[in-house]
Amino acid sequence: MAKIIEVENLTYAYGDGSAFVHDAISDLSFSIEKGEILGIIGHTGSGKSTLVQQLNGLLKPTSGRVLFDGKDIWENPKEIRKVRFQIGLVFQYPEYQLFEETVFADIAFGPKNMGLSGDELTERVKEICSVIGIPESYFETSPFDLSGGEKRRVAIAGVMAMRPQVLILDEPIAGLDPKGRRDVVNMVAEYRKAYDATVLIISHNMEDMAMLADKLLVLNDGKLLMYDETRNVFSKPEVLREAGLNVPIVTRVFEELKAKGYDVPTDIFTVDEAVTYLSNRKAGGSRA
Amino acid sequence: MDNIIEIQNIGFEYDDGERKKTVLENLSLNIERGSFTVILGHNGSGKSTLAKLMNGLNKPNSGKVLVDGMDTADTETEIEIKRRVGMVFQNPDNQLVASIVEEDVAFGPENLGLSPEESRARVDEALKAVGMYEFRQKSPHHLSGGQKQRIAIAGVIAMKPECIVLDEPTAMLDPKGRAEILKTILKLNREHHITIVLITHFMEEAEQADRVLVLHKGAILADAAPKTVFNQVDMLKQVGLDVPQTTELLFQLRSGGADISTDVLSVEDTAETIARCFFLEEN
Repeated sequence: MAKIIEVENLTYAYGDGSAFVHDAISDLSFSIEKGEILGIIGHTGSGKSTLVQQLNGLLKPTSGRVLFDGKDIWENPKEIRKVRFQIGLVFQYPEYQLFEETVFADIAFGPKNMGLSGDELTERVKEICSVIGIPESYFETSPFDLSGGEKRRVAIAGVMAMRPQVLILDEPIAGLDPKGRRDVVNMVAEYRKAYDATVLIISHNMEDMAMLADKLLVLNDGKLLMYDETRNVFSKPEVLREAGLNVPIVTRVFEELKAKGYDVPTDIFTVDEAVTYLSNRKAGGSRA
Repeated sequence: MDNIIEIQNIGFEYDDGERKKTVLENLSLNIERGSFTVILGHNGSGKSTLAKLMNGLNKPNSGKVLVDGMDTADTETEIEIKRRVGMVFQNPDNQLVASIVEEDVAFGPENLGLSPEESRARVDEALKAVGMYEFRQKSPHHLSGGQKQRIAIAGVIAMKPECIVLDEPTAMLDPKGRAEILKTILKLNREHHITIVLITHFMEEAEQADRVLVLHKGAILADAAPKTVFNQVDMLKQVGLDVPQTTELLFQLRSGGADISTDVLSVEDTAETIARCFFLEEN
């Protein structure tokens, strides 16, 4: 698979040049394959948001480089705006940034900034809404009349309408109820499928990460603690707990069984996996 | 029964000048002194509105809210009510006001006009109660999300409240921070006998509550012990909620034909139940 983003010795220092300088991100190197869903996890203040804001050029690294399709995104600083269209970033609580009078105008704002207008712009908005399931009947509604979960989806759609090759979402499900969480997770999956996009998601929800992410990048105090397939990361519960994180609840049930002396695997990370394992074991057991 | 909060047949509507929106209608609810109640509900179900009614931040359009028998509509008792029922919100950064932890916690007691000695004693006690005493000289912005949120809770405790209402206090926290807050809440309830009302979207946080309320479209849809509420999986999913992963697992095992009990919630009890159902015959 092709690498879409490469990060080389990335360091970001807040308060650079002052007496209070400290590295929010220190000497990170990793690369991201095209088309994968990467989960970024880490305790509060571990540098997750600082990292992703450098990936799309909102923050300029103190040292190190970010390559997009093999090219340093800061090679030509005048072109950095183009990078931001190709690597779209959805901030935390993006619904606070809704401002237009209608849902349509809000979603159209991004593509309009890219230079789209007229029918092309209308088509672009319609297309993204049909992909992710926002009905056209919402177009003339004020975004402020929507529920919290719907507002969040409209705000995310506004970034998706720019059709970024890489979509980064900073805690897209924080503060949502369970249905709102599912809706956002589904719309991200639909977007990725339709446009063969690469997706980076920051989240504190280990259960959702277990279902969604191909790989996990774990940050601890601004440093890279682990970067591996999701299964391999969740197979190291002590390392995760040490870093202020945890394994999914269902995995904890199997840890508990193991602690009680039962011979069970501890690499069970979703409810489906648990049900499959236990059902097979029962079937096998009764035959024996 | 001894109730700290009595909500009597209230209605609440928002009015933005153009339109009126009814949020709560004909709602009655008592919170028993010393209890731990969790309120669940989808975004927009009226949870936060209800929370703010409990200490007079919101006033009902109809009906009455009584705190320790005092009507929240009565301006005479406003300060006393706010002292008895403290609030903690979602974002810890919006709730901290001072640049040193202990000064932040002292903000409330000092405004009560207490003597410096009394303030000092209350601040120390509050910081110890949330396990943050050793951080008293630190600057809040050097703390983790969970620690900051515990400081916000200490600020409320320093007012010596009867009851604390927490509105999604863990929504922005990492797993460790969430666990810290939950542990703190339980300690305050069990050891300090403070009444707790917790609003959350994390179903597993409801596990240790005495009582779970499900709010839907401004009305109470369910009001029972956690095990009873989470056994109504279909109802919860219908209103945009969910069950803890432990319950989900047990339900799926049962619908797959296993003869297994579904009325447990904690990780330990779930493991025990699975062991009994699946592994005992092997031993």
